[in-house]
Amino acid sequence: MKCKRIVYADLLVLLGLALFTSWYLYQAWSASSKIENLIFILPVAAITLLLCAFEAIKQLGSKTVNQAENEEQQESVLSVLPVMGLFAAYVLTLEWLGFDLGTVLFIAAFLLIQGERRPAWLVAYSLVFGALVALFFSNMLPYPMPMTFIATEY
Amino acid sequence: MIDFDAVLLAFDLLFSSFTPWLVVIPGILIGLVFGAVPGLQISMAMAIFLPMTLYMDFMQAMLFLTAIFTGGTFGSGVPAILMNIPGTSSAIATAFDGYPMARKGKHNQALGVALGASAFGVLIGYIILFVLIKPISMSVLKIGPAEMFAVILWGMTLIASLSGTFIVKGLIAGFAGLLIGTIGFNETGVLRGTLGSEYLLDGVPVIPAMMGMFAASELLRLVNTQYLVENEAARKVNIKLILQGFLHAFKYPVVLIRGSIIGVFVGAVPGVGSSVSNLLSYIETKRRDPDPLSFGRGNPKGVIASESANSTSEAGSMATLLALGIPGGGATAVMLAAFAMHNITGGPQFIREQTDVVYAIIFANFGQVFLLIALALMCLPVLANVVRVPMNYLIPSVLALAIFGSFGLVGNMSGPITVLVFAVIGWLFRRYNYSVPAAVIGVLLGSMAESSLLHTLQISGGQFSYVLERPITMAIMALLVLSLFGSKLMELLTKRSAVNS
Repeated sequence: MKCKRIVYADLLVLLGLALFTSWYLYQAWSASSKIENLIFILPVAAITLLLCAFEAIKQLGSKTVNQAENEEQQESVLSVLPVMGLFAAYVLTLEWLGFDLGTVLFIAAFLLIQGERRPAWLVAYSLVFGALVALFFSNMLPYPMPMTFIATEY
Repeated sequence: MIDFDAVLLAFDLLFSSFTPWLVVIPGILIGLVFGAVPGLQISMAMAIFLPMTLYMDFMQAMLFLTAIFTGGTFGSGVPAILMNIPGTSSAIATAFDGYPMARKGKHNQALGVALGASAFGVLIGYIILFVLIKPISMSVLKIGPAEMFAVILWGMTLIASLSGTFIVKGLIAGFAGLLIGTIGFNETGVLRGTLGSEYLLDGVPVIPAMMGMFAASELLRLVNTQYLVENEAARKVNIKLILQGFLHAFKYPVVLIRGSIIGVFVGAVPGVGSSVSNLLSYIETKRRDPDPLSFGRGNPKGVIASESANSTSEAGSMATLLALGIPGGGATAVMLAAFAMHNITGGPQFIREQTDVVYAIIFANFGQVFLLIALALMCLPVLANVVRVPMNYLIPSVLALAIFGSFGLVGNMSGPITVLVFAVIGWLFRRYNYSVPAAVIGVLLGSMAESSLLHTLQISGGQFSYVLERPITMAIMALLVLSLFGSKLMELLTKRSAVNS
């Protein structure tokens, strides 16, 4: 069952790449079908689609799952997904939370998920790191960043 | 070729007073910091500190800016080795073997090797510049889009070479990367694949995409790891091992010299420069090595190839700036502004009339190499301590740093969002064995390749014979074919002659 799931997931990624290639080719073609626009995109997209078809046939034809041997396949998706979700939440809320507050919260939440149980250490590290990095970048960058506590023109 | 009277005058300019040298140490340190912090760039450091050069004379201003350039070029390799984040596109190939070396507990040696190769690269680059500044700058004038496409095509062959054991998947990743690299406006003003987002008008931000695919996706994969280096005994930071690595770089003179030659000539090509030279040097070293499979798994020769080429590119880009007044990239564009602030115009006349100043800038860079070595040896033991930080602290810190840096690179939220999107893509690619380096090379080279191909089409009027009339294009293509099939051809010929005899 596990092997089958891996094959399907692998095929899904391949399908995703083929769909992206087809969509992008269609988009480019719709924008302009002149040679100046397609001189590079058309051949590259055609080769990509051919390679995708070849790989799909190869995967459907193979009875063994080589990937199962790969140690990366053994990693637990369940342990990566919460971290990925937290990272996505951090990035997508930065404009509202600001880089200073957002970073402090992200680091504290990450440490908590990863098993840090010393509250003083958790709070101190996330506060000090978040504040220092936010201060450094807000002073070094030539354009304003979204911030909650640090004064900015954003 | 060398004006010896000007050489004497240059020495006089540099050593009659100690004042010009006062700015070199701060310059190198600023460069190291800006290179080593992902998101801060060398050109950004130069732009920030450019107003200070108003209070300096021209010589001192040039020494200060080239010191930032030298420090920054080496500095960008440090996060590539320790965190898999190339600080700039010129350090991509450094991450290919530098990071696996760090994960094996050879972080000290990797940093030392990078420093040795960088120092050698800067030195040899400026020696080549000293002897050949006029021929190099003149050859740049003969380079058109056809030659640029040939060089980029050479870089694109790296996609196949980086595909690893899953060749077809690697090629798919590389070609998809090439397509992603062309998103946005093309040179004729046609808009493709932006999904209506104004953030994508200029295309996908390359360095944030690189940060997402290389660093963020790798960090997500390492969530269950305790330390970057699993073996506790190997986690130590040792200056002796850094020095050992530094000396180790000189055990491969051919790799160093090949990287330097590629670096100086490709670095001189405006718009291509060190972003492609490190890849070309890496691919040629891998291809000619008796054990190419060891590359990408922590072979120090990969680090040497990349670092020698990207640091030599500095001299190449200085050649076009000094001799033609053409900036090859962001850093030299800021230098051009410094030229203007001191009422100096680069170009053939500048070289002819102020040869002593040109030579003084070159000689000053020889001195900077030794200062770089000393300062880097002091800073590297501090930076190498990254391997001793537990991963549950390192992962969120580096991710946050990448997000700040990506905002710094782009100036709006498209940077952080690009990191996030490409982190997920990179994680999927790693999980299902699609080559992440091949995809990154694709994203980097996509728009460059399309633009140069389009320019070639426009200039040639669609006539293929145009390419046949370009000797440099033909020579680059011949070199490319030779590098791809030369060894196999030789093997075939040797076998045939053995059978005949």
